[in-house]
Order: sequence, then C-alpha cells, then structure tokens
Amino acid sequence: MKQHDHENKKTLDPAETSTNRFSGNFALDLELVRTKIGHNSDVQFREFYIGGTGIGAAIIYVDGLSDKELIDQHIMKSLMVSFSEKNNQDPSLVQGVLSKELIKNQVLTISEVTETQHVNDLTSKILTGSTALLVDGLQHVLILGTTKGKSRSIEEPSSEPLVRGPRVGFTESLRDNTALLRQHGDNNNLSIIKFQVGQSSKKELVIAYITDMADPALVEEVQKRIQKINIDDVPESGYVEQLIEDNYLSPFTQVQNTERPDRVYSALMEGRVAILLDGTPFALIVPISFSMMLHSPEDYYDRWLPTFLIRLLRYFAAFISLFGPSLYISFVSFHQGLIPTKLALSIMGTREGVPFPALIEALIMEVAIEILREGGLRLPKPIGPAMGIVGGLVIGEAAVQAGIVSPIMVIVVALTAISSFAIPQYSAGITFRMLRFIAMFFAAVFGLYGVVLFFLFFCSHLVRLESFGVPFVTPIVPYRVSDWKDFMIRMPLVKMKRRREAIHRKDSIRKG
Amino acid sequence: MKHITIRILLSALLVFILLPLTGCWSNKEIEDLALIVGTSMDLEKQEGAQEESAGQPGGQPHRNRITITNQFVTSETTGKGTKTGSSPQKAYNNVSETGDAILPTLRNMVLRIDKRAFAEHSKVIIIGEDLARTLDMQKILDFYIREQEMRPSGLLLIAQNRASQTLESNKPMDIPAFQLVEMTHGHGRTTKILPPTTITKIEGKLHAGASFLLQNIVSTKGEIKFAGAAVIEGKTKKLRGFLNEKDLEGLTWIFGNGKGGLVKSVDRKTGQPIIYEVLSLKSKIKPHVNGNNISFDIKIESEGRIAEHWVVSENSIETEFLKRTEKAIEEEVERLVDNVLNKLQHEYKTDVAGFGNQLRIKYPRIWKTTKKDWDQIFSEVPIKSEVKITIKDYGTSDE
Repeated sequence: MKQHDHENKKTLDPAETSTNRFSGNFALDLELVRTKIGHNSDVQFREFYIGGTGIGAAIIYVDGLSDKELIDQHIMKSLMVSFSEKNNQDPSLVQGVLSKELIKNQVLTISEVTETQHVNDLTSKILTGSTALLVDGLQHVLILGTTKGKSRSIEEPSSEPLVRGPRVGFTESLRDNTALLRQHGDNNNLSIIKFQVGQSSKKELVIAYITDMADPALVEEVQKRIQKINIDDVPESGYVEQLIEDNYLSPFTQVQNTERPDRVYSALMEGRVAILLDGTPFALIVPISFSMMLHSPEDYYDRWLPTFLIRLLRYFAAFISLFGPSLYISFVSFHQGLIPTKLALSIMGTREGVPFPALIEALIMEVAIEILREGGLRLPKPIGPAMGIVGGLVIGEAAVQAGIVSPIMVIVVALTAISSFAIPQYSAGITFRMLRFIAMFFAAVFGLYGVVLFFLFFCSHLVRLESFGVPFVTPIVPYRVSDWKDFMIRMPLVKMKRRREAIHRKDSIRKG
Repeated sequence: MKHITIRILLSALLVFILLPLTGCWSNKEIEDLALIVGTSMDLEKQEGAQEESAGQPGGQPHRNRITITNQFVTSETTGKGTKTGSSPQKAYNNVSETGDAILPTLRNMVLRIDKRAFAEHSKVIIIGEDLARTLDMQKILDFYIREQEMRPSGLLLIAQNRASQTLESNKPMDIPAFQLVEMTHGHGRTTKILPPTTITKIEGKLHAGASFLLQNIVSTKGEIKFAGAAVIEGKTKKLRGFLNEKDLEGLTWIFGNGKGGLVKSVDRKTGQPIIYEVLSLKSKIKPHVNGNNISFDIKIESEGRIAEHWVVSENSIETEFLKRTEKAIEEEVERLVDNVLNKLQHEYKTDVAGFGNQLRIKYPRIWKTTKKDWDQIFSEVPIKSEVKITIKDYGTSDE
C-alpha cells in the first residue's frame, strides 16, 4: 500500500514528467506504455504495419472493456486495408511520415478521437476502455473511444416495486441512467453536470437538476459538498450520501435514495437535485423532508381518495413501528388501569406463567424477528421464503407453547415488524426499527411517561435536523399550510396548484 | 471540536446510566396483579365477634365492624380456566376481611393474598342493607372517593340481606361483578331498572345533602336479581327504605328518563290485557309557588306502540279503540305515579324524584329558605300529575 502510494507520487512529480512524455520513437514509446501497464494480462498490444507503407503502428486496449468489433472494423481495417487501397491510388498521400491529421481526418472511422503526449493520460484512458493508437514517428498518441461498458438490461427496481407506474429502474451504468432521465420528457432545462470522485479509482458522478426550477444556491451547495469528497474509492452512492449529509450523527438519513427514474424526475420537477454515481442503480435526491420517506410515487399515480387514506395509514404504521412494543410494555407493566377490563383479563391470562417481565419478553421477540429479517436477507433465493416461514412459525408458535412469551406479545411484535415494512423508504424503516428499541427502554423505565419523553426527544431532534438547508419536518416546522395538501394526506391534483413552499425555486405555479 | 463531541458522549452516557437508576419505579407486571372487580360491604352483626383480624385487640369494641369482601380476578383464575379447561375452577376469588375502617381492613388482605390488589378495574361496590341503614353513606364511601387507584365510574348498588352473597354465583365461570354491570344495561328496555349510578354521581348528592335512589339487588341461592330501588335520605345519608319494582316504574315515568319499557293495562270493555311499549318518554315537573304554598304539576308525555293485545274482537286501527286504550294506559300510568308519590311523600318523606331541583331552578329564593328541611316540606306538597299517551304504532298486524 505504502509502496503504491510512493509510486503514485512519483508519477505525479513534475520533475519526472519529461520521462513520461512520448518521444516519437515507436519502440521506446511502446516500451514506455508496456512498463506502465504491460504487466496486466487483460491489456492487449497489437503491433502491425499501416497498409502499404511499412510504417509500424500498435494499438493497445483492454480486452473486454473495448468493443472488439469496432476495433477490427474501424481501426484495423481502416488502417491496413482501406488505407493501402487509398495509398495505391494516390501515393503522394504519404511521404515516409504520416501526419496525425491524416489519420484522424481521412483514415479512422471512429467518432471519438483525442490525442495525448503523456503516458499517464494514456494509461488511464486505456484502462477505462479506450484504445490507444501509436504510430511510428508521431509524438502524439491517438486515443480512440471504443468503450463498451458492461451493463445489464433495464429491469423493474426490486427494492421499490409498484403496482402502478413505470416498470423501469436505474442500472449500474451511469450513461443508461442519465439517458433514462433524458428520456422521461423533452426538457431543455435538464442539466446533467459531471464530476469525478475518488482519489485512487476515479469514478464518474453527475448531478442533475432542472435549471429553471432548482435554486442556484442549492445547486452550488451540492457541488461544493461533492467536490469536498476526499476518499480513495466511492463504491456506491451510499458513500456519497454519508459524506454529504448535514448531520452524520442523526439516526435519520437526510438524503433519499431511489432506484426509480420517475421518482428522481418528479423530485427534479420540485426543484430538488439528484446525484447519480456510476456503478450503482441508486440515485440520491437532496434536499428531502421527513414526509418524503413516507411517500411513494404511486401516491400520485392512484386517484386521490385511496391515496388520502393510504397515506394516513402509512403514518399510522410508522407510529406503530416506532411505539408499538413500547406502548404495550407501558400498558402492561405500568398502566393496567388503562386497558379495557376484559382485555386486561385476557392479557393476564396469557401472561400467566411467562417468566420474564414485559420488557425482556419484548426484547426477546424483537431481537428474534430482527435476526429473522437479517438472516432472511442473506439466504439464497430458493430457500429464503421457506426458511422465513419456518423461522416465523417456530418463533411464533413454539415460543408461546414453551411459555417463553405470551401470544399477545407475538401479535404486537409481528404487527410492529409488518408496520415498519409499510414505510416506503427502506432506510427510514430501519431507522424506525432501531429507534423503537430505545422507546422500549424508556417505556420499561418510566411507563407511558417515558414514551412521551422519548417522543419529545425524537421531535426535538427532528426539528433541529436539516437537509441541505431545508428543515427536515418542513410542513410542520416551519409551518406551511399550503404544503399540508401533500403531507399526511394528498389532495386532488387539481387542487395542488402551487409547488412546495419548502424548497426555494424560481417558479411557484405548478400548472398554468 | 473533539472537546464538544466528548462532552456530548459523556452527557449521553450520563443520561443512559441515570435512567435505569430509577429502577423502573411503579413498575408492576400485569400478571402479578389481583384485579378487584367488585367490592361488597356488610355490617357485622354479632356484637361479641372475636375475630380480631383487624389486629387491634381491645380497640374500640363498640364501633361498628364492617366486613369487606373483594372479588379478585387473577391470572390464575383467568388463565387456567381458558387453557386446560379441565377442572371447573372458579373464575373469581372472593376474599373477606373484617375491621372497623375501610382501608386498614383492605390492607389486611395483603396478609392473605399473594398478588398485589389492584382496584383500577373495580366495576361495582355493593353496600349491604344493614350497613346502609346504620352508617352514614358519606363515611362508608369516603375512602373510595378519596382513593386514587380507584375507578370513579364504578357502580354503586344496595343489596337486600347480605351484600357478600351477591358476589357469589352458581356458575363458576361467570364473574358476578361483571354480570351486575351487564344487567344495568337493561335499563334501556325496562322501566324497572334505574339508570346506572356511579360513585361520581353520588358524590355531589352526598355533599348537597340531597336524597337519592340506588339500585337494589337481591341474591337468592346464587342468583342475582334487580329488585326495585333503595331510598337514601339526604339528611341522614342513610338507607331509608326500599321501593319495589312497581314504585320504580312510577318513578321512571316521573323522571321521564326511561328509554323503553312496558305498561300493562286492561281493556275496560273486555277485561283483556293490553301491553303498551314505550318508544319515547318525556316528563316535566312544574313547580308553582303561591305565597307560602308550593305545589307541583307533573306533565308526562309518551309515544309508543301497542305491543300485544288480547282483545281479539277489536280492530286495533279503529280510532275509538285507540282512544279507549290510550285512556286506559294513561290511567294505569297515573296510578303508578300516584302510588309512588304517595309512598315517597307519606311513607318515606324523602324527595328522590327531583322536585326540589326543579324548585331550585325556577324559584331559587324560595328554595334557599326551604332547602334545609325540604324532605319534610315535600311530604306535604300537593302534586298533580297529567299523563298523555299517544299510540302511533300498532305493530305489523291490524287484527
């Protein structure tokens, strides 16, 4: 590692750059490239003579990254066959030396051609799929765009399936993803700005926004934070997310991630900024608010009335996933008078013989279900569901039979787990699941008072949180009545004439 | 920067260490509780009772001793019955203790049960006839009104004979306290049950020194029955006597708060019974003051239907028959009302029907001078009643 660093430094040293320049001596130049990357088995060197001239040339490319057909048809064939034919007709073209202009302008049938004199430029281009063409007697090396990235076909995003909506998800190829955004609609104002992140292995990253919607200050802030990223490698957009968010100590993510182009695009139309990284299907959206975690794109595709109710249901589910077990604990261990008498009797009956207090009982079940969830995630696909059922049954049925937990606790825990999955944003669901353990401890110590206390902590943290300058709980604090139309409920689209107030943008009317 | 982070971490640590230090105070697991669902109180008759369970030998021997019976439901009694269902064990557990004040007696039960008594689900308090006759109600209920861990919506009932008997049932799986509460819901379908009277409702009346009624129950061989009402005199706050079911019917008509019920009258021509079912019931008590003379008018209006009639010869939609029937029912109701008024004015000399309240609203000045011995004045006041019955429905048959 250290040695590698050292080497890196060496190549960057300006004093040494002269030795890294191409001299025009074919053999020396080729040797220079060879010493740099020749040890890699996937780097191919192909030496040949340019048709009818006897001038030596070589192409260097990475096997698998470059389009071999393109190389064969448009580089090799052009240089060896077509050129010799041309040369035969008009020998005056070549007088011993070939000019790079001649090759570029008359011979190669490749659209993307650049030139360099520096070997480091060359190697980095070769390693990303371009093909280098060295010609004897030329000080410049031509770099030909022959990159053929490996990408899978566009599929429905597996982490955010919808009943109604486009069956399109991002892929690992950045260009495919930006193409998907462009394809969404003909919008001249969609800006896609390129950045490079990662010190050691450089990766392409783009930010996308709509010029006449997004606040220039916001765009500038995003750019600033991205430029600040200083890390060897950025394997996934999660890295970017963690490196640019406002408060890294908060349990809540302040950046939304999604695999859905339609979601990204609608966010862009609200004046937000999207960040796409090469190599991952997860795009990031900033700034976000708490309510966005509980919204799904489908909310706008379905009619407003079901959505109205489903949104309320989702908020209720979020409440249960956060407070379900803690409320149960506080009722059963502290405030038995608040339970309806008949229910109190049946809870008493079912808890008879359970050796643990409610907290321990709840912890056992909650931890068991978290293990089940985590384990189920890692299981190979064919046996996943089967093991899930077996695990669920064993824990649910046998634990009750064995008298370790009471059946009502199983209901509470199962309901809580299901509720946390009703939250559309997976990362938000995880946050709620995590926080409910804290809520449980509060409940076990102080009862309902503790739950309220925890809720106050929870609220005071949320109120202070910001995402790129936008308050996290925005329609509530600061209070913006017009934004409530699209918060816990969703009003008919006809009624939502104005854009969200929370995000500054230039044009506030949504429809004319 | 480092400094602040460390301080935040330390203070977070402090909070999380301090929180559990409180040790989950007031934490009590639900299965460790013994829910008190009903309480009965009886006067201990035997003067020389040697049961010194109050633990105060040579206390005050002349004091009235009270036997309190708590009906407990515990996780054992609910759990075992439902799970195995093998042994027909009782769903409840009655524990009695005797003493001369309520709380010390209750606390003595700790010596006998392994669970923590928990009264927040208490549904009913039954006071025995003898106790209610000898002791001031305010004194008896003082603890229950004061106590925090007590449900103020608990019902208050008076039991003829021994109150503890009403907490026993023949059927082991039933919980008598719950049964009693369920039975009061019958108030909507008969005029023979008083509307449920809770401790909160009584509290105000006790303070105001007003007379009031409590539902009376009788228990015979493990079967509970609602039987009329008990009259509590405002001045002494003691049980004055009982009204039977007929009287209670009359009272309900005066109150006008019945939600349903039947009147049985007899057709004058044929002597056959006609049953009238109340659909709506309204009454108005109008006080009149003429110098020193106070008098009252009661106006009762009711709409209802003929639910059953045995006068086969008559067609029920005929106006003449309806008029005759209405008249007969009116007379029957008047008879009921007069009967109970007579009893209240002359036998018990207590106003439990709210005449005083109406006077207070209409003539507050006069009420001020009369309220001191209102019950006495009430007993001499002339009361006129007027009943209007409208039959607007005769069922689905016209024959």
